[in-house]
Amino acid sequence: MEPGSGLPQRRVGGGGLDLGAGSPALSGGQSRRRKQPPRPADFKLQVIIIGSRGVGKTSLMERFTDDTFCEACKSTVGVDFKIKTVELRGKKIRLQIWDTAGQERFNSITSAYYRSAKGIILVYDITKKETFDDLPKWMKMIDKYASEDAELLLVGNKLDCEVDREITRQQGEKFAQQITGMRFCEASAKDNFNVDEIFLKLVDDILKKMPLDVIRNELSNSILSLQPEPEIPPELPPPRPHVRCC
Amino acid sequence: MEAAAAAVPAPSPPPSAAAAPGSAELVCAEGRNLKAVLCQRCGSRVLLPGAATFTRRELLLPAMRKKAAAAAGGGSGDVVREHWLVRDMFSFENVGFTRDVGNVKFLVCADCEAGPIGWHCLDDKDSFYVALERVAHE
Repeated sequence: MEPGSGLPQRRVGGGGLDLGAGSPALSGGQSRRRKQPPRPADFKLQVIIIGSRGVGKTSLMERFTDDTFCEACKSTVGVDFKIKTVELRGKKIRLQIWDTAGQERFNSITSAYYRSAKGIILVYDITKKETFDDLPKWMKMIDKYASEDAELLLVGNKLDCEVDREITRQQGEKFAQQITGMRFCEASAKDNFNVDEIFLKLVDDILKKMPLDVIRNELSNSILSLQPEPEIPPELPPPRPHVRCC
Repeated sequence: MEAAAAAVPAPSPPPSAAAAPGSAELVCAEGRNLKAVLCQRCGSRVLLPGAATFTRRELLLPAMRKKAAAAAGGGSGDVVREHWLVRDMFSFENVGFTRDVGNVKFLVCADCEAGPIGWHCLDDKDSFYVALERVAHE
């Protein structure tokens, strides 16, 4: 089953996913005044950020390309997800980044989030051992619901709080090594240390893994719709092989 | 454009007639945005030129500066009439969507989260409105 194939499909406008899309090296001016919209994105990828409460998931999402970190102007309603555009290897990539804050109970994040994610960022707090101890439970959810080829990145956050550190870098590395293909890094969303790199690295890994025809055929369906999803999907994918289980 | 006319109660006439003073220079002959749409506060790029269509519709947006107003979800705010209408969520360069307020999601800057800069109703999944007066143009 394709990730997200049970979701309502989005209309793809303007030849959205055609690689190149007939707009070679668009340099601005020329196409601006035409009817066609500007160069569409080459890829669309969904990334989710998961982890226990208080580890800084929301901060990671905000800090990506953000240099303000301003509490004052935040909407009280809270941000659900963001569309961000990055350019990598000459490709324009639209990321749909979902922050799962507020749904920290392991089984409360709708499986649809996992199913359609091409990248999963699993976050713990280096100053809170319990958030590290929770990682196997998060991995169980990933094994159960996520696409097998989703890229996994483990992030030890709050590097700015080094004095309160409870989990060594080696512990984090060791955990990631036990899981096939999982990358690891430490970061500080507060200082913006490593945050941009996290997303770019993840996107790069996703792109490297994908044959072009897969990109064309699958990604248009892999985007999570805004429509409410049933809590229980009609059909669960088979459990992932246990290669990642520690 | 046909789709726009079908979904929007008051589709915009040619921009030269429809646009209020000030917005005429922002709209091209086909009704699209001539300039890039940016966050007023941090300059984050929301839309590239040509990515949206000028349209008129009365929408109530919570005030940008009052957190309390935003929380109330429309109890107080501004009625805004001129918008950039975007048909595909993935036409945005950078944008944030708030959690649901009723059946509405507000649009905010993806980088500094200033907003709301726009409005999206979950009942019409192919329409995203960005208020002209709440963004910068370059």
